[in-house]
Amino acid sequence: MKLLIPIIILIVNSFLLSQVKKVDQCFQCHIDIGSAQAELFVNDVHKRIGLSCSSCHGGDNTTDNDEIAMNPKNGFVGKPKPSKISEICANCHSNPETMKKYGSNIKTGQFEELRKSVHGKASTDANTTIAQCTTCHNAHGIAKVNNPASPVFPTNIPETCGKCHSSVVYMQKYNPSLPVDQIEKYRTSKHGMLNKVGNKKVAACADCHGAHSIFSAKDVRSSVYPTNIPATCSKCHSDKEYMKEFKIATDQFEKYKRSVHGVALLEKNDISAPACNSCHGNHAATPPGISSISKVCGTCHALNAELFANSPHKEAFDKKNYPECETCHNSHDIAVTRDELLGINKSSVCSKCHSEKENSKGYFAAKEMRQMIDELTNKQKTASSKIFEAEQKGMEVEEIKFRVRDINSSILEARTVIHSFDISKFKEVIKKGNVASQEVISDATSKIDEYFFRRYGLMAAVLVSTILMILIYLHLKRIEKKNN
Amino acid sequence: MKKLFNNIYLWVDERVQISDLVKFMSKKYVPIHSRSIWYYFGGVSLFLFIIQVVTGILLTFYYKGSSEQAYESIKFIMSKVEFGWLIRSIHAWSANLFILAVFIHMFSVYFERTYRKPRELTWVTGVLLFFLSLGFGFSGYLLPWNELAFFATKVGTDIVGVLPVIGEPIKLLLRGSEDVTGATLSRFYAFHVMLLPLLFTLLLSVHLLLVQRQGMSEPVEVKVKGSMPFFPNFFLRDLILWLLVLNILAVLAVFFPAELGLKANPLASAPVGIKPEWYFMFMFQSLKFIPAKVLFVDGELLGILLFGIAGLLWLLVPFWDRKTAAGQKNRMINYIGVFSIIFILVMTILGWVL
Repeated sequence: MKLLIPIIILIVNSFLLSQVKKVDQCFQCHIDIGSAQAELFVNDVHKRIGLSCSSCHGGDNTTDNDEIAMNPKNGFVGKPKPSKISEICANCHSNPETMKKYGSNIKTGQFEELRKSVHGKASTDANTTIAQCTTCHNAHGIAKVNNPASPVFPTNIPETCGKCHSSVVYMQKYNPSLPVDQIEKYRTSKHGMLNKVGNKKVAACADCHGAHSIFSAKDVRSSVYPTNIPATCSKCHSDKEYMKEFKIATDQFEKYKRSVHGVALLEKNDISAPACNSCHGNHAATPPGISSISKVCGTCHALNAELFANSPHKEAFDKKNYPECETCHNSHDIAVTRDELLGINKSSVCSKCHSEKENSKGYFAAKEMRQMIDELTNKQKTASSKIFEAEQKGMEVEEIKFRVRDINSSILEARTVIHSFDISKFKEVIKKGNVASQEVISDATSKIDEYFFRRYGLMAAVLVSTILMILIYLHLKRIEKKNN
Repeated sequence: MKKLFNNIYLWVDERVQISDLVKFMSKKYVPIHSRSIWYYFGGVSLFLFIIQVVTGILLTFYYKGSSEQAYESIKFIMSKVEFGWLIRSIHAWSANLFILAVFIHMFSVYFERTYRKPRELTWVTGVLLFFLSLGFGFSGYLLPWNELAFFATKVGTDIVGVLPVIGEPIKLLLRGSEDVTGATLSRFYAFHVMLLPLLFTLLLSVHLLLVQRQGMSEPVEVKVKGSMPFFPNFFLRDLILWLLVLNILAVLAVFFPAELGLKANPLASAPVGIKPEWYFMFMFQSLKFIPAKVLFVDGELLGILLFGIAGLLWLLVPFWDRKTAAGQKNRMINYIGVFSIIFILVMTILGWVL
């Protein structure tokens, strides 16, 4: 009996309340007439939290009277103007208080970010921006980002972006020079392949380019601007925990930062230096195969790659399955090339394979080449110190200084020609450097000699003139004495 | 050998009566007194002028007076031409010593009141020669077409432009265009090697002719001990001093060769610390000290006018110094002279220090 009374009260109460419960008349009528938008809205995240059509379209959703419900006096706007769509979304999404009311903890700066981004620029008809919120998130039937039904769910992102970015006709209107094959390439990459089979952790478009604050890759604010790329890639690739399931190393960024390329790009801001994507590709990111390493490095180091390809080492490396450039220079931690790499010492890379007993031809060639380049660099140092000495003595050495470039370029050329592993070619280049350095040393020395010649000449001239002065004085005294 | 020279002398003498000139010179006497030393500075100035002419002519063999080639040609002279460095350094140093010698000569003449009757015209031609020397310095400074010279000329010609009515036309006349350009360089080259040498030689001839005609002036306040023949006694003394000056020049040229600096770049901003040559420094520094406005008059204009008036008064000293002309002592002349020297020294030092 004690239990019966409350149950009766609850049933009666529920009955009575159901009679006064508000009905979303907009939705009700539009679903009744078979509206596609209303059907999509059934599963919309906004409907689930109690928002009505009128939340975005305005009007009175409590009445089924068209005249009142869709009266502009009641704030009805109907289909929003394209230029107003994102603003309507921002009414709630840019307001932390409102978002808090609905128990949401998503960020509230998206509209501002979108407005500043490349997509926030005016479209061709100038009435709206290139992309609004609804372009990527849909208008009706909006799902949470972590809902596989959402167009911005990680595995759906490539296709969502591709709607515009893979369309030649569409992209011609905004950026005709931008390729439209990114999605195609992406699907060939490790990222793209894993994404295709439903892996949410691999990078999709927004992971590298950003979601709302997307800038042109030429814009320094972009996460894919050359100097920002290593940090962008390392967000995932340096995270041991995150990368655990992929079983690949996570020290690439650390190594790259210290490498000659990393220092040039990140410390000297030389954007011609390679970032991750220069070797791995960007949309088709993949580790280069052993046989293609020299081709990848050769996109910049063209001459070295060509010389290597025609050298006897090419065949030897292929047989032993050695990665070409990487065997001597490493991959991510490529250090500044030093002459010490050449030769037969412990620090040289040649001695890894060549010794007096094994592959001895290369051993002796390496020894001789090292000697030659050491001699040339010593001559270069002598030339520079002679020039410095002459300059310190106040002599004009501009022209000689200019000719030091010939020595430097010979050294550089020798360091390139080394990749042919042909000692006769190497000797030819060294000879040019030797001739240039000999000329520079001789000219600088003659400048130093001229300095001393000037001093001695001055002494002689002063001596002659002083003697003359004394003779004139004596002559004068003799005249004066005679007159007196 | 002596006979040969004698024969040549007689041959020339027979045709142009050279013995008259020798007789005239040997009859000339130079007074001996405690201030005789000042007589030598006229000769030193003349000697340095001759060096300027000789080295200047040698430099024109290689110098190219265009904005595209001037700097390069000086570089060529300094590095490629045999003894080019020496000729240019001597020309540059000799220019400075020449102006210094002229300053000393002019002030010694002023303090000795040598300008008094009948040597008024000698003074006037001398002061005009001094102004022309400054013109030589100003025009020659631009010729290497380096950064310092370019901006110093820009500042210098801008100052002239401040003058009312005639300022702008004179500035345009000097520059040959609105700004300092290649046209200015061509003009300055023409002034330096054509116009100024012509005027200078004419005035110098008159100046020397007057000196020869009137002889050396004897000072008023000092007792004259005697005299010596101009030739050979005074001339040989002159020669010893000239050789000494030559030694000084050689030492300066070898130890402190003339610098070239960076090539002028009209599009670059003026480097910090642009300063004129030392002999213009006192005027430059004084103009900097004058406030922008002095009783509704532009400060710079006032400064230029004051220097103009001072220059005119200096030129006309023999005509307004009536006391000396009348044989009376005029201490005011000493005060003005001492004030001028102190003013020039202080302003020059401040110009370098500040």
